[in-house]
Amino acid sequence: MRVDNRLVHGQILEAWIPFLDASCIVVADDQVASDFFRETVIRMAVPSEVKVLISGVAEFAENNAFRRGRGPSTIVLFSTVSAAWTAYRLGFRFDKLNIGNIYNEECRLCCTQSVQLNEGDINDIISLRKEGVQIEFRRVPKEKPIDLFEIVRNMGS
Amino acid sequence: MIGVLITTHGNLGNELIKAAELIRGSIKGIVHIAVDQTKGVEDIKKEMSAALKKLEQGQGVLILTDLFGGTPSNLALSFLKTGKVEVITGVNLPMLLKLPDIREGMSLEDFAHFIKDYGIKNISLASEILSKKVG
Repeated sequence: MRVDNRLVHGQILEAWIPFLDASCIVVADDQVASDFFRETVIRMAVPSEVKVLISGVAEFAENNAFRRGRGPSTIVLFSTVSAAWTAYRLGFRFDKLNIGNIYNEECRLCCTQSVQLNEGDINDIISLRKEGVQIEFRRVPKEKPIDLFEIVRNMGS
Repeated sequence: MIGVLITTHGNLGNELIKAAELIRGSIKGIVHIAVDQTKGVEDIKKEMSAALKKLEQGQGVLILTDLFGGTPSNLALSFLKTGKVEVITGVNLPMLLKLPDIREGMSLEDFAHFIKDYGIKNISLASEILSKKVG
C-alpha cells in the first residue's frame, strides 16, 4: 500500500517491484482510470510479467473489501492520502501504508524532501493511524523508514 | 532547426550535454530539465511547457528522456503531439553527439526515428564484436 502522487514511476519500476517481487500492481486513481492515454503509458511501462489493474478509488475498494493478506504479492498505489483513506473507509483494509512522494503547494508539514503534507493529508493520516494503520515514509526500499509521529515529536522538542 | 529538450532523473541530462560538448563543442538549441524529489509535478510540467515554447522554431521539438515509465518520461509524454513533439526514452551519449549533424533539413518524425535507431545501434557488447571479427 503506497501513496505516491507520481503513481507508477522510476522508484516503483526499478526499486519496489524487484524488492517485493511483486506480481501485480494496482493503480487506484480516478484520474488515471478515466484517462486512456495515461492508462496506456502505465500498462506499457510495467514489465509484462507483472499484472496491472487500474480502477477508480471507490470501485477498487468496493471490489476488494476485507481482502487482507490474500493472493499474490501486490503493490497498491494511490495518488493521495485522501484516496487511501477513502478506500479504507469503503472497506479496503490494510495494516501498513507507505508514503513515497506527496507534493503540496501549501505545505503545512514538510516531513522529508519528498513529502509535504497539507491540512487534509494530516487529518487523513491521523484517521488512518487511529484505525491502527502503521504509516511509514520511505521512497525506496533501501532507505530507512521514517515514522511520521517521530518527526512531529522531534519538531516539538 | 529542430529543438531538443532533455529531461532526466536528477542532473543526468545536464551531464550528458556537458560530456557531448566536451567531445564536440557547444550544442545549440538544447535545454535540460532536471526532475528531482523537491519539485512538484505541476511545476515541472510548467517548466517543460515554457522550454518547449522556447525551443520551437517551426520544425518541432524532440524530447529525450532517460527511462520509460519514470517521472520525466511520464511528464514528457503528456506533451506528445504528432509533427510537433516527439519523445524518445533511453537517451545516451551517442544520440547527443549525433544530434547536431542531422537536425537541419529533416522532418521531426524522420529525425526522431533516426536518433532512436542510432542510439540502439551504438550499444554493443565488446566480446560479441571481437568474436565476430575473429570468427
